[in-house]
Amino acid sequence: MKSLNKILTGVLSFILVLTSYNGFSQAPEKGDLNIAINYFIINNKVPYLLIKVNTKVNGKFKNVAGVGLKLFLDKDSMGTFIGNAVTNEKGLAISYIPTSVKKEWGTSVKHTFLATFDGDKKYNASKADLTVAKAKILIDISSDKSVTASVFEMKDTTWTPVKGVDVVLAVKRMDADLPINEKPTFTTDSTGKASGDFKRDSIPGGANGNITLVAKIVDNDQYGNLVIEKTVPWGAKFVPVNTFNRRTLFATRNKAPIWLLFIAYGIAITVWGVLIMLVFNLFRIKKLGETV
Amino acid sequence: MENSIVSDNRTKDMPRENVDSITDEQIINDLLPQKFGKWGKIWVGILVAICLVGMFAYYRQLRYGLVVTSMRDYASWGIYISNFVFFVAISLVGSLITAVFRLAGVHWSTPLTRIAEVIAVAAIIFASIIIIVDMGSPERFYFLILYGRVQSPIIWDVIVISTYFVISLLLLYYPLLPDIKILLRFKQTTGKRLYKFYSFIGSFWKGTAQQNKLSEKAINILCITIIPVAFSIHTVTSWLFATTYRPGWDSTNFGAYFIAGAFLVGAGAVVVAMYVFRKADHLEKYITEDHFEKMGRILVLLSLLYLYFNVNEFLTPYFKMKESESAYLNGLFIGDFAHIFWFAILAGMILPIIILLFKKGRKPLPVFIVGIMVVVGAWFKRYLIVTPTLLHPFLPMHDVPASYRHYFPSWEEWAITMGSLAGVCLVITVLTRIFPIIPIQETLNEQHEIAE
Repeated sequence: MKSLNKILTGVLSFILVLTSYNGFSQAPEKGDLNIAINYFIINNKVPYLLIKVNTKVNGKFKNVAGVGLKLFLDKDSMGTFIGNAVTNEKGLAISYIPTSVKKEWGTSVKHTFLATFDGDKKYNASKADLTVAKAKILIDISSDKSVTASVFEMKDTTWTPVKGVDVVLAVKRMDADLPINEKPTFTTDSTGKASGDFKRDSIPGGANGNITLVAKIVDNDQYGNLVIEKTVPWGAKFVPVNTFNRRTLFATRNKAPIWLLFIAYGIAITVWGVLIMLVFNLFRIKKLGETV
Repeated sequence: MENSIVSDNRTKDMPRENVDSITDEQIINDLLPQKFGKWGKIWVGILVAICLVGMFAYYRQLRYGLVVTSMRDYASWGIYISNFVFFVAISLVGSLITAVFRLAGVHWSTPLTRIAEVIAVAAIIFASIIIIVDMGSPERFYFLILYGRVQSPIIWDVIVISTYFVISLLLLYYPLLPDIKILLRFKQTTGKRLYKFYSFIGSFWKGTAQQNKLSEKAINILCITIIPVAFSIHTVTSWLFATTYRPGWDSTNFGAYFIAGAFLVGAGAVVVAMYVFRKADHLEKYITEDHFEKMGRILVLLSLLYLYFNVNEFLTPYFKMKESESAYLNGLFIGDFAHIFWFAILAGMILPIIILLFKKGRKPLPVFIVGIMVVVGAWFKRYLIVTPTLLHPFLPMHDVPASYRHYFPSWEEWAITMGSLAGVCLVITVLTRIFPIIPIQETLNEQHEIAE
């Protein structure tokens, strides 16, 4: 029995020594990053790239902050450098296409953007690319409150209408865009146009009834994201109801409601009138006493 | 001159002990204000000492600010406001004993009217003082008058408290005038200074028919006026809470609940004062066992009424147990405040009802003890109205120092509060030293009426 105890003690000691020795432990496994490039042109101005970076942790996607990315136009380190970008806490990084690549930009009607991550202690190196064709979107309105979006693609050196592109026609609101009618998207015809009737007459606009119409192509495989806006006076005029300077229970002292003033002062005057009368009554009693 | 008392219809309403042959001079001698004896001086000395400690604490509060209190962002009202509500409540007794009984033609309460009026005046003075203390810097009261909004219940409270104070003073002063005429006859016993004071405030009273008529009319008007004003003062004080959206305060029941509680604590204070003055000034012939018997019955009624309002105030929220109010209600019923809550309910309402339901319980000593229980229970009840609500806001407390989550008054708050309670007792004591605690002339008149 004693020898069995000795053997067990020895085995346990050996296991403990082994487990405490970290020379056998492996370096923690690095994570893989997913990089997605999105291409945007708002109102046909300077295009920009929005890069989203996330990773999968326990089966769920988690945004990764602080990831340093290198962005290139058409080729990687051999090609044209656009710039560096670092993701924020939402895993997003933005980079405008700089004027330094204007020359390369003009050489082709299609471009490929590359985003590379060199890897660090936590994540493996990763990269992504996106190819887009040069395109533009225009918006037009008619007197019968019809909205028309026109989509053009640059072919050779001319803007050519594009058929079969899904376009969203909407009204810009605070948090999201509201489609101009019940149809969520409109498809361009052979002239590159997509039209829809505006059916949001009662929608609140600005002080002059101004609302902002939006025509946009969302996450298109060929063109990316194109957005164009136009302000029209089609909304209901917003007349703010300002109770600030009105007579309310919560207004300043000079703006107390009339009914309250009437009741409060009425009661106070009545009661204090009686009290003053009773004080004068004392003087009458005093006077009567002095005459006796 | 000796009046032999003959039993008539009026005497049915009078205590039997009063239906004895007592001469006018005897009555006057019995009821004249008495100089402080040894115990009286000790009593006054203790009260003055407590007031001085309170004043020192207030000096510290003025010098260092409200930070010397335990009030913080959440418990921004503490025992000052509890005390204020308590004083306002206790002051209602003036209207109950004097006005309601007078208008209802109740004559047995005559010996109690002055006690009630004195308590009312003293309580309302300190209610005003304590609210200024609660403001921190006293000049804020001045700014409140200058810039106050008529839409705010706080302004209504300021108006109605000052109105009630003036009415209470007048209601104390008018019935005093005939007594002052009597007091002026005793120049040698009263002393020079008091004699001068009596002359100043009442030498013009000759007791002529015209003067009596004007005085009677004025007292009747005051009795009618004080009732709605007294109801207003308690209702408006309740609105300070009820117009604020907080757990426990968001109630339409609050006005009536406060008035019922005020009547109870006021009556409790009167029976305590009755017993003390009866013993101290040997007034057994005037404040009789029958008075305690009747006040005991009133206390039972008022306790039942207040208990009814408490059931309304707590049972229905408990039944619903809304999530937003559950922490507050559980805090009262089984949590941090449970011991105070159940003490206030048991000592302030249930035990008084049980004790006073028995005839033996309506003897002077048991009634006195019940009165103390009611008053102490009422004080803690006011604390429960104010503090637990503030410590259980609808929106949970986040990222606040630990001291913000609890409230226990600092020594300065206790000292000021005790000082104000001592101040009320001191004002009552001084007023009873200066004026007869039982109206002499009214007692004489009643004796004469009974005799006729």
